[in-house]
This record gives sequence, C-alpha cells and structure tokens, in this order.
Amino acid sequence: MDAYLAAIAIIALIYMLLSLGLTLQYGLTGLINFGHVGFFAIGAYTSALLSLQGVPLALSIPAAAVTAGIAAWPIGLISLRLRDDYFAIVTLGFSETVRLVITSEKWLTNGVQGIPGIPRLFESISVGIGAQLAVMGVLLVVTLAAIYAMRRIVASPFGRVIEAIRDNEEALQALGKDPARFKIQVLILGSALAGIAGAFYAHYITYIVPDQFIPLVTFYVWMAIIIGGVGRVSGAVVGTGLLMLFLEGSRFLRDIVPGVSEVEMASLRIGVVGLLLVLFTIYRPQGLMGDFTKR
Amino acid sequence: MIYAQLAVNGLVQGLVVGLGALALTLVFGIARFPNAATGDTMTFGAYTALTVHKASGSLVLGSIAAVGGAAVLALVAYLAVFKRLAGRSVVSLLVASIGIGFMIRAGLGIAFGHQQQVFNVPLSRPIRIAGLAINPLDLQLAVVAAVALAAVFAILYLTPIGRQMRAVADNRDLARVSGIRPERVMTAMWLIAGGVCAIGGMMLGIKTVVAPEVGWDMLLPIFAATILGGIGSPVGAVVAGLVLGVAQEVSTPFVGFTYKIALSFVVLLAVLLVRPRGLFGRIEGVR
Repeated sequence: MDAYLAAIAIIALIYMLLSLGLTLQYGLTGLINFGHVGFFAIGAYTSALLSLQGVPLALSIPAAAVTAGIAAWPIGLISLRLRDDYFAIVTLGFSETVRLVITSEKWLTNGVQGIPGIPRLFESISVGIGAQLAVMGVLLVVTLAAIYAMRRIVASPFGRVIEAIRDNEEALQALGKDPARFKIQVLILGSALAGIAGAFYAHYITYIVPDQFIPLVTFYVWMAIIIGGVGRVSGAVVGTGLLMLFLEGSRFLRDIVPGVSEVEMASLRIGVVGLLLVLFTIYRPQGLMGDFTKR
Repeated sequence: MIYAQLAVNGLVQGLVVGLGALALTLVFGIARFPNAATGDTMTFGAYTALTVHKASGSLVLGSIAAVGGAAVLALVAYLAVFKRLAGRSVVSLLVASIGIGFMIRAGLGIAFGHQQQVFNVPLSRPIRIAGLAINPLDLQLAVVAAVALAAVFAILYLTPIGRQMRAVADNRDLARVSGIRPERVMTAMWLIAGGVCAIGGMMLGIKTVVAPEVGWDMLLPIFAATILGGIGSPVGAVVAGLVLGVAQEVSTPFVGFTYKIALSFVVLLAVLLVRPRGLFGRIEGVR
C-alpha cells in the first residue's frame, strides 16, 4: 500500500510539473499550447538515451530540459506570427510529428518497440519503498522549486508583462514592450519544465514507447488546469490532484464494477475528460480556484 | 509511371481529406473557430455506415444513414455546446470542440469496441486505363464524393440559404443588419458540415479500416488542407485536399510510409508562414 501511494505521488508530481509549464504558457501568457506532450516526449527520450550511453542522471535530466527548451524555440518564433487558434493547430501538429519521428527513427529510438531498461534514479538503493521515497523526495524538491519560481514570476515585472500579453497585447505594444521576446521565453521555460517531467517519467517507468506520448496526455494536463483554474498556480496544484484522483479512481472503479474491460475503461476515461472540458468551459471557465475578480 | 499510379491512388485519399476540410472550412468560415471534433464526426459517419451496411448490405442505405446521423450529431453539438459559447473566446470553442470529439470517440469505443473493422465490399479486378490500374471501387467512391460535393456546392451557390451562409461568412454584422437570421444559417451549416464529414468518414472506412481513432488521425491533414485552401473557401478546401492526398502518396517512395503524414505538418507550417491566406483565401486583417 505504501508503495502504491508513493507511485501515485510520483506520477502526480510529474503531472504537476507539466501543469505548471502549461500554466506559465497558457494560464499566464495565453499561448494555446496543444503540443505539450511533444516536449514531454523529447525530454523523456533525451534523458533515456543519454543515460543509456552512460551519462549520469544528474547531467541527463538537465540535458532533457535544455533539449525540450531548444525544441520550443522555433515553435516560439512561429508563434509570433500566428493568431491564437492557428498556433494551437501548429503545436498539436508538432507533437504528432514528434511522435512520428520517434516511431520512425528506429536507429535512435528503437521505434514502436520502445526503449527498455532505462536506469532508475538512485539505482544504488534496491527496488522498494526506499528507492521510491528517494525519487519522490527529489521530485518534490523540483516541483516545489518550480512552484516557488512560478510564484516569483507572477509577482515580478516579467509576470506583469506576460499577463498583459494575455489580457491585451495591443495595449502592451502601445506601452513600448515587445511581446515577442517574452512569448519565446515563456514557451522555452514551460517546455523545459515539460522536458524535466519527461526525464523523470522515463527514469521512473524505465520503459518508454511512442504510444505513451499521445495527445491525450496533453489534454489530461489541459483538463487539470481548466478544472483547477487557469492562470493560478494554486489552480494547477488542485487541478493536478483532481486529475490523479480521476485517473486512479477510474482504475479502482474497474475493480469494483464487474464486466468493464480495460479498453472500455479507456474509452470511458476519454469520454469523461471530454465531458469535463465541455462542462467547465461552459459553466465555470474560471475553474475551481479561479480569480473571480477578473473577467 | 509509378508516380502516375501513386497519384491516382492518392486522389481517393485526397477526396477524403478534401471532404473533411470542406466541413472544417464551413465551420471555420461561418462559426469562426477550428472545430477539432471534425475528425471524430467522420468516425461517427464511418461507424453508422458500417452498421447499416452490415444490416442491409446496401452501401447507398449506409451512406444515407451516415449522412443523416452525423448531420444530427453536428447539430446537437451546436445546440448543446457551441451555441452557448457564442461570443466567448476562440480558445473556449476550440477546447469545447476537443471535448466533444473525445465524447464521440468514447461513445464509439464503448459501443463498438476497439477492434478494427472493415467494410465487406467485394474485391474486383482493377480496370486498366492508359496503363494505369484503377480500382472500380475507387471509381465508385469518387462518384459518391463527386455527388456529395455537387450537392454541397449547389446548396452553397444556388439556394437562398447558401447565399445567406456565404454572406455570414463574408461579414457577420452586415449579414445581420440585412435581415439574415443567424440561427437558420447556423442550423443549415452544421447539418451540411456533419453530412460532409459522414461521406468522408465512410470513404475513409471503406478504403482503410474503421476504428475509433481513424477520424482523429485525419485531423492534421484536414487542418493543413483547410489552411492551404484558404479558410472559409469551400472550393479551396476540396482542391487543397486533393493536392495533399496526391502529394502524400507520391512522396511515399521518398519519405517512407510513416512520414507521409508529417508532410501535412510541413505544408501547414509553410502555408502559414509564406501565404497564410492560402490558395483561395481572401486577405484577412489578422492571422
């Protein structure tokens, strides 16, 4: 039971990092990134491949952040020239293209067979609750650091500028600020966070295949921040908690209700994600922790 | 010669993309948001056609049921969700459309399972025309698509409701002050978009397989064709769909089977950066 709780906590913290990245990009700056899972995948594969070459994890995980950040740079350049909805389509296409590349380039990624035997964090500690707690501790530190950084960003001049980009880009330009630079920075930062999340994911699961990086993951994260409350750090935290409750709860439900197969449960899960996206968009666009002073 | 053959094979695929893009461009032009449920509406059409075809053995009945079913589905989605979100940001509509797409896919997955299914159509010997092997089934599908397209274009360009639709697409406020009722236009538009999706989905199902994800997987080529054709341009969507379908097939020997899908992404980026109004689009103030 302890091991199970630790496992959930680890996955929850990984989703938390993804949610924080998206909160920075969409919640604070208004960039509709529908390709979050693409950067997650880049991080996962980067760190997995490097560590299998013997690079220590202390270097490969930062490398994952850097690679994902660099991958976001051209997307950021493109985003400056596109309307919101076009940017959403482009990023969705980007993440699907990333998946195609990791599926096709077998020499690098082993294609659909995936990469097995990725080194775990703290390999010296034997598999068990101790190793899991250690991983959880590191993730917790990383996540708390990210939350702290986000809070600082929100309170900083940088935070005021990016929120102004979301609220009224023209007015910001009229005040002599260049939104372009800030948008690129935000995209790179958020994607680097996704890359770190991907690296931790790869080293925790120890086995990655292209099918783990489908757009559904992106929309899990979207669901989390929409339910929690867009543009609030607390919203990302609460939303991710509820997302985990939903993902794990649906697994328990299958144990309790007989006659529901795993594929049916998968369909049901997608359906509930869809329903929640629709309901929250219509009835509670601010989310649960939303800022009711605005809008 | 092999390229000519590939191009011919690509035409049917192109018609599927073109039909999807036509539905997307109608919604984009008139309701002003990219409807991400387009692909899943196609899947719905494919399953409806498959079910009726299995029960009755008639593809004609199957396509009629699919068109009717998907048209109603699209209208229900509009009345239940999109109508309530009128006046909200594009993001809200886009996120809601993804939600609707997920719900459709979930419903189909639960009702029909995740096993790939195929249409039981008799195999036939290809006809040879000028050295090209042409599958009679492809020919029939092309005829079906042509009839559907002719019907849509007739509605758009020959009937009063079609004229009103184009007026709303052109300038919503101007259309309103000249007495066009937006409600009727929207209803007609969603019915047509749903029906068009159904034909595309059915063709896709007959050419390949029917599974809950097939429509969603078409989304990228459909978006690429819509933007290549120019948002809101029905002719552009169909032409761009054909161009993309043929380009995908012809590129296969060079880039391989998997990367032909990525071609859509490259086209999408190139068009957005170089000529965002597409081939047939009008100049827009913002992009």
